[in-house]
Amino acid sequence: MVLAGRIGRWLLFTALAVYMLLPVLAVALYAFATRWTAHVLPDGYTWEYWRAALDDQRLFAVVARTLGLAAAVTVLDVLLVVPAVYWQWVRNPRIRVLLELAAAIPFVLPFVVIAFGLLTLSGQIVPFLQGTVWLLGLGHAAIAFPFLYWAVDGAMAAANVPRLNEAAQTCGAAPLDILWRVVVPNIGPGIATGGMLVFATSFGEFALVQILVGNRFETISLYSLDLLSGTNANFGKLAVITCFTFVIVFAISAAAVHWNRGQATRLLHGGQPIEGRG
Amino acid sequence: MSSQPSARRAVAPESVAAEPLAHRLRRWLADWLPALPLLLVAFGMLILPVVALLAQSFQSDDGGLTLANWVATLASHNDQRAIGTSLAVGALCATIALLAGAPIAWFVSRMLPVRRATWLAVLNVAANFGGIGLAFAYVATLGAYGMVTLALNALSVPFGPPAPGSLGGLVIAYEYTNIPLFVLLTIPAMGILRPEWWEAAQTASATRLQFWRAIGLPILAPFLAAGWMLIFTWSIGLYGLPFALGAGSASSRVRLITLEIGDILQASISGQGRAAVMAMILLLIGAVSLVTYRELLRRALRWF
Repeated sequence: MVLAGRIGRWLLFTALAVYMLLPVLAVALYAFATRWTAHVLPDGYTWEYWRAALDDQRLFAVVARTLGLAAAVTVLDVLLVVPAVYWQWVRNPRIRVLLELAAAIPFVLPFVVIAFGLLTLSGQIVPFLQGTVWLLGLGHAAIAFPFLYWAVDGAMAAANVPRLNEAAQTCGAAPLDILWRVVVPNIGPGIATGGMLVFATSFGEFALVQILVGNRFETISLYSLDLLSGTNANFGKLAVITCFTFVIVFAISAAAVHWNRGQATRLLHGGQPIEGRG
Repeated sequence: MSSQPSARRAVAPESVAAEPLAHRLRRWLADWLPALPLLLVAFGMLILPVVALLAQSFQSDDGGLTLANWVATLASHNDQRAIGTSLAVGALCATIALLAGAPIAWFVSRMLPVRRATWLAVLNVAANFGGIGLAFAYVATLGAYGMVTLALNALSVPFGPPAPGSLGGLVIAYEYTNIPLFVLLTIPAMGILRPEWWEAAQTASATRLQFWRAIGLPILAPFLAAGWMLIFTWSIGLYGLPFALGAGSASSRVRLITLEIGDILQASISGQGRAAVMAMILLLIGAVSLVTYRELLRRALRWF
């Protein structure tokens, strides 16, 4: 009975490991394979795709755009979220009601619906914003803000911000000073964890990019799709890009776990972790 | 003499009203100003678009009020099939994630710290990997020239992998992120089951099976159901992954609500009323499952 249980567990985790690692291995091999249509392993290996990727001006621009957008969205979200959460803790609890409601929306609404809604709305009231990266950036900031909101809110609870605020006020500090010199240094890990998730959301997002800007602002997602199924499909180059994406995702996950003191984080909207208070 | 009071009367109400108004405005700003930018972005980028779509779903092409979009969508065979398939994919994915994820979450939560950290790291990366990259990973593994396909064929096993855009292909690709997500979501709940309870059950000479049936599962059930609900909603809302999976082979591609919306938006200006109706159906599904999720968690936490 015990032995059977042990074997069952071993099988379960072996299967999981194979399921998780095999696709990564396949992508990595594709990035080096000359021809791979007949045998278990590629017929030969080459650096060709990596060299081609380095020479590819279009790829360079695509990567720069994607990283730049994700970084800008992250900075914007930090600037928007941190003061709001601070204020909801120390001054006006009613802010929490509104923000928690807003933070649930990207969970209730699939991104494709948000993209569609933004397309319709911007056509009606701000046509000059249509197809611009500004609209895309604001959209990304809106769909990704819940991650930062929950992370920062949790960090402020853990740091007991109302108490810190009281102490700083007693010393005569102004709210902005308190926020910058007292609160922010105490919630660093929360900002970092949430910021990573915001960055990752914008980095891999597809629906808003495709529907709001399309090829006017080509990101890694769009370029990947073109290489996967477009007229000039190129699996070798796509494998190189996917490896790059994977490294970014890995770095983000590792950093988020590290800053979150070993706790797991997740990229699921509405997914405040199911926590027992027991 | 008589003019003075009347002048005072004329001024007084104004100053009583004006002074508090400025005062009230200042206090309102002091209450809300730091949160105002975020609230404005959330309102303009999340709430107003929904209102716009809701309005559009009841709008005819010439701008009049109509139920035609709803009637047409709900009566259309293709749209019914898309809605049904989306719900089926969501339910199937969530169930598989539950069946595989619950035992994994349980075992990972009982692992020694180093081992647990390793598994958590692997699950974390997998959970965050998605979209077009994952679609390519599927093709590279289980496509016509995918690694597993080639390996099995080399062993002369007759193996035809499910087409990427087919139901089977979608489910296999979705689970790559769904199982890790389910595990990460439910691991915190696993801590609720105390080791003492198992010891107490053993003292009462209960078998492992009896323990799980009578104690373990009833306690964990609401948490597991909540996890199921999240994966269900998440899977229904996916767009980039199924789009990329189905992009290669239009013939074997299944119809999903999200894909229909995308297709309408890509194709033309007409038919957007229908897309708005489907968007509202997605909103409805999401809202119902969010309320269910909250209720499940509320019940689950009542005892703790």
